[in-house]
Amino acid sequence: MSATDESGLPVVERPLSAWQRLSGVTALRRGLILVLLAVVWELYARWLDSPLMIPTFTDTLAAFGDAVVSGRLPSMAGTSLRVLLMGYALGVLLAAVLAGLASASRWGDDLLATLVAMFNPLPAIALLPMAMLWFGLGTPSILFVLVHAVLWPLALNTHAGFQGVSETLRMVGRNSGLGGPRFIAGILIPAAFPAILTGLKVGWAFAWRTLIAAELVYGAASRSGGLGWFIFENKNRLETASVFAGLATVILIGLLVEALIFRTIERHTVCKWGMRR
Amino acid sequence: MGSGETADTGAMAAPPLLSVDGVTLRYRTRAALVTATWRVSFTINQGDRFVLLGPSGCGKSTLLKSIGGFIAPDEGGIRLRGREIGRPGPDRMVVFQEFDQLLPWKTTLDNIKFTLGASGRLRDRREIEARARQYLGKVRLERFADAYPHTLSGGMKQRVAIARALAMEPEILLMDEPFAALDALSRRRMQEEFLALWADIGFTGLFVTHSIDEALLVGNRILVLSPHPGRVRAELINDGDRGLHDHIQGMLFDERFETGAGI
Repeated sequence: MSATDESGLPVVERPLSAWQRLSGVTALRRGLILVLLAVVWELYARWLDSPLMIPTFTDTLAAFGDAVVSGRLPSMAGTSLRVLLMGYALGVLLAAVLAGLASASRWGDDLLATLVAMFNPLPAIALLPMAMLWFGLGTPSILFVLVHAVLWPLALNTHAGFQGVSETLRMVGRNSGLGGPRFIAGILIPAAFPAILTGLKVGWAFAWRTLIAAELVYGAASRSGGLGWFIFENKNRLETASVFAGLATVILIGLLVEALIFRTIERHTVCKWGMRR
Repeated sequence: MGSGETADTGAMAAPPLLSVDGVTLRYRTRAALVTATWRVSFTINQGDRFVLLGPSGCGKSTLLKSIGGFIAPDEGGIRLRGREIGRPGPDRMVVFQEFDQLLPWKTTLDNIKFTLGASGRLRDRREIEARARQYLGKVRLERFADAYPHTLSGGMKQRVAIARALAMEPEILLMDEPFAALDALSRRRMQEEFLALWADIGFTGLFVTHSIDEALLVGNRILVLSPHPGRVRAELINDGDRGLHDHIQGMLFDERFETGAGI
């Protein structure tokens, strides 16, 4: 039976055992899973013994270290991120304009709905051939597909967020004398922020995938570099460990942005406001 | 007071603060054009705690929103100090029933400060801060100045909403069933606090409710509305007469049989 103190009541607070406390730490559990996966990888690659197909974990780590030390990987990642940020910013700007139009009038609403219905299912990378025709073999083509990747999910989420703002909050805003742009900035955007943040995250994920794919197809032609190009180049040289290092970098950057930037924004906004747990 | 144009009510000594004159309100649903109120008239004087009382469907909330400036009347006029009311404005602050009327991204204090600043009621930042703290104190929530709304109880949220509205020092405070979503105990306490605030600050209030008890507790004047469409059934002065409750109940009860409509 449960422990009781001298008054006969059950103990209100009993400390957990060390194991119970440690297994409650998410980072620890996930770290353990990562270590296990690395061990499985290492063992399988050694057993397979075919560095061309699957390099070992340690070889990949060494290739990663070399590429970082030589400065090649950081500069490639830098190129990718620069282009990405430009495309992302442009996409966010256009999404804001579209969502603003959509909440301002019924025509804008129909425009957004139609455009999203048309373009959202279209993978951005499928537009690359046309983009190359229109904008040539340079950054503008990649920017074009990046904007396409960010714009639709973000505009869609933002618009849905605006529509979800309760009638009461709208009336509170108007009661305070807000209208037009001040109403959008003061009431609609913060009230719709959970949805907007989701749109930003989805847009980021789409843009990152699109960028790497575009660089793979396209880096060769433009010689602009980037992580996709790094992967492609090493595959041509049959440096499989470096290909894996490139892939790992793509994953790492994706995770870092998600875990550090977006989680931090979330913690300081929607979580603090009680709009999301 | 430059109220030269308010010579409409004739013999009244003081001109009314708010006059609602033959107001018909309609709203459109998907299927029909619904008449919410039909030629409703009443006046509210400075310092009144005026109650709109009636069952669901009598258009009392719609009427309050119309005075707030959110719905334009189809017919008739609403005047505040003799001036036709237009858009929503800080001279008619509304307290809603819903708890989500506080901006969840702002602390309680910032909620009050935001409204004060956004409306242009006050310009100086120190003045805004002082006024917001003063009114948060009036609803005894100064300890929760930095708390976000989602950490507050329902009753506390409503107190912040009332403080936010009162801090604007509006001509009239419009309250749309502000305590209806509270549990019975908190409601009782809030009603008493409301009266204490009124005694302390001396504002003019319009209070919408469907509860006869609440109307008799918080109001000094009561307008009884009948439903479908909302019309004025009677205007009563709450003189503390014990028979008033049964009188109103009789009126609302009769009405249900007359119109054949349930509540």
